[in-house]
Amino acid sequence: MSATNEKAPARVVVVGLASCFGCQLQITNIERHLLDVLGQVDLRYWQLTSSDPMPEEFDVAVIEGAVTTEEAVRTVRELRERAGTVIAIGACAVTAGIPAMAAPGFAERAASVYGDEAPEACGSLRPPAPVSSVIAVDHEVRCCPIDPLDFVDTLQRVLRGSNKAVPTSTLCGECKRNERGCFYGRETLCLGLVTRAGCGARCPDLGRPCNGCAGLSPDANVASARAVAARSGVDPARLDKALELFNTVDPSLASKG
Amino acid sequence: MLYRVIDAAELPALVDAFMERYEVIAPVRSGRSFAFEAVGSFDDIVLDYPTTITSPKKYVLPPRETLFEFDAAANEVADFVEEVTPRVIFGVHACDINALNSLDLVFRDARYPDPYYAARRDATMVVGISCTPSEGCFCHLVDADEARTGYDLFLQDIGGRYLVSIGSVEAANILEGACNPREATDEDRIAFRHATRRRQASFNPDIPNIQEVPMLMDAFHSDPFWEELGGRCLSCTACSSVCPTCYCFDIRDTMDPDGVHGLRERTWDACTSPQFAVVAGGHNFRADGRNRVRHRMYHKLNGFMAAHDRNLCVGCGRCVYACKAGISPIEVLRFFERKGADDAD
Ligand code: SF4
Ligand code: SF4
Ligand code: SF4
Ligand code: SF4
Ligand code: SF4
Repeated sequence: MSATNEKAPARVVVVGLASCFGCQLQITNIERHLLDVLGQVDLRYWQLTSSDPMPEEFDVAVIEGAVTTEEAVRTVRELRERAGTVIAIGACAVTAGIPAMAAPGFAERAASVYGDEAPEACGSLRPPAPVSSVIAVDHEVRCCPIDPLDFVDTLQRVLRGSNKAVPTSTLCGECKRNERGCFYGRETLCLGLVTRAGCGARCPDLGRPCNGCAGLSPDANVASARAVAARSGVDPARLDKALELFNTVDPSLASKG
Repeated sequence: MLYRVIDAAELPALVDAFMERYEVIAPVRSGRSFAFEAVGSFDDIVLDYPTTITSPKKYVLPPRETLFEFDAAANEVADFVEEVTPRVIFGVHACDINALNSLDLVFRDARYPDPYYAARRDATMVVGISCTPSEGCFCHLVDADEARTGYDLFLQDIGGRYLVSIGSVEAANILEGACNPREATDEDRIAFRHATRRRQASFNPDIPNIQEVPMLMDAFHSDPFWEELGGRCLSCTACSSVCPTCYCFDIRDTMDPDGVHGLRERTWDACTSPQFAVVAGGHNFRADGRNRVRHRMYHKLNGFMAAHDRNLCVGCGRCVYACKAGISPIEVLRFFERKGADDAD
C-alpha cells in the first residue's frame, strides 16, 4: 500500500561500547517475536553475534554502552555520519549509567589503577559519558537493562513513525496506577520522585524502591524531592548519593559539584 | 427515594446474591492500603475502609483501553467490541459516587457521547456505603458528602443495621430476594440522624471552609502563591492517577512486534504531565509547574463549576496522600484562608 513497503528494509547495525552487553542480550529475549522483528529490517552488523567488520553503509545505528575512550568517540561520530537514525539503548548509553560512577576524579582513579599509562588494550581513556554528549541521538530506550518490547516499539517508531507521546513526567504517577503505596511512608528512599516514567514503575510494583535506571527526567525537581525526603524522615543526602548509581554525569546535577 | 432497613447480618447474603449475577468489585486490603478489586467472598470486603489509593473510575475509564484494531499492511480498521463484564461496585463512598456522576456529565454529554464509557457504565451497578471521614477528606466543603443520585443502593450504617436507600428496580429486586428488608421505624430514623451528625462532626477541622471558592480562584489568578505551590511540583502525575474525576486521556497507536497489526488505545493523561499542553509546532502552553498546577486546581475548583454547576473536586483526599510535594486543593483553601486573615488585619 504505502511506499515504505516497497522500499528496501532499513539497514541496521548494533554496536556495543562500555557496557555489560546485557541490553544487546535483551534484544534476543524478545524470543517469539525475534524472527518477526528481524524480518522487518536488514540487520547488517550485530557486535554481540559476529566478529565481521562493520559495513560501510546503513540506515539505523543502535548503540549500547557509554563512551569511555577516544576510540569510542570516533566510533559514535562515524556512526552518526553514516546513519540516518541513531538509537541509544540502555542506561549506559543514555545516562552513562554505571560506567559514569567512575567519572568524578577520573584521571586520578585511572592513575591509581594503571599508573602513569594505561595498557594499550584500554584505548585512550576519558571520563565516561552518555552517547548524547558526543552526538545527537534520535531515540532512547531507557533502563538497565532495556525492556525488549520497549526496544521493538522504538524500532517500529523509526521504521513507521508513531503518534505515541514520549512524556518526561516522573515515575510516581505510574506507581499510583499500579495502586501501590509509597516507600516514603515507610521512611524508605525511592528515586521515583525524579526518575523518568516509562518503565511502568516496575520496581516499586515488585516491592523494591526505584534506583533511577531510566535516568533523571529533564523535568525532575530534585530540590523538591530532597524536601520530600527530609519531610519523610529520609536524609536528603541519601537521595543525592543514590542518584550516583545511574545519574552521576547528568548535567542538571553537575552544579552541586 | 425508597428506604428500607436490613440487619448487618444480612449483608453477606446480599453480596452473595450480587455475586450470582455479577462480578462484584469491593474495597479490599492491599498492602498497607486499600484497593477496589474483584472479590470472591464477602469476607474479603473491608466495609469500614478509610479510602483507596485509586478510585472506582478505573472500571468505567480504564487506565488503558483498546478503541479499535487495525492492519497496517491491508490498511484496514476492525471495530473492536470488548466484552463488558456486568459488575457491581460494592461499598462506594459518597464522594466517589459524586465523582462517577461528574464523569457521566463529561462522557455522556449528548453532543459527544462516548460509547466505550457508556457500555461500561451501563453494565455497572453501584452500591454505596456510609463512611467516617479520614484526615484528608473534605467532601463536605465541595458539596459531595452526600450522594443524592447515581447509586443502585446506598447503605447507611445506623448501628448493627443499615438504612438502605434504593435507587434502581433491579437492585431493589435483588435486595428483596436476598434479605428481609423492613420499613424504617422512627427509631431507625433517629439513629440515622445521629449517625449523620456524628459523621459531620468528624471532618478534619483544620481544613478551612471557604465560601465562594470559584470566585476567589478568579480573583487570585496571578498571585505569587501559584509559583510557590507549583514550583514544588515533581511532574509525576500521581494526582491525576488517583483522582476519581480526572478524565483527560491520550490516544495512540500501538504496533504489534510484527509491524502489521496494531491497536488504537486510549490511556489516561494528566495536565500535570509536562507535555500535556504541547501543540503542533512545539509550543507548550503550560511549560512550568506553576502553570500546570494552577491549571489543575482551576479545573477542579472553578472551570468545571462554570460548565456543569458543580465542583469537579469531590474532596476525596486521595491526591492529598498521593502528592509527595504536598500539593492539593486543601492547600488552595488554606491560601484563601490566609488571604482572608490578611484582609482582616
Ligand atoms: S516515590 Fe517511589 S514508591 Fe513513592 S510514589 Fe514515587 S515511585 Fe512510588
Ligand atoms: S522502577 Fe526505576 S529502577 Fe526500576 S526499572 Fe523503572 S526506572 Fe529502573
Ligand atoms: S482533586 Fe484530589 S481531593 Fe479532589 S477529587 Fe481529585 S483526588 Fe480527590
Ligand atoms: S485536572 Fe487536569 S487531568 Fe484532571 S480532568 Fe482537569 S485538566 Fe484533566
Ligand atoms: S501536583 Fe503533586 S502529584 Fe501532581 S504532578 Fe505535581 S507533585 Fe505529582
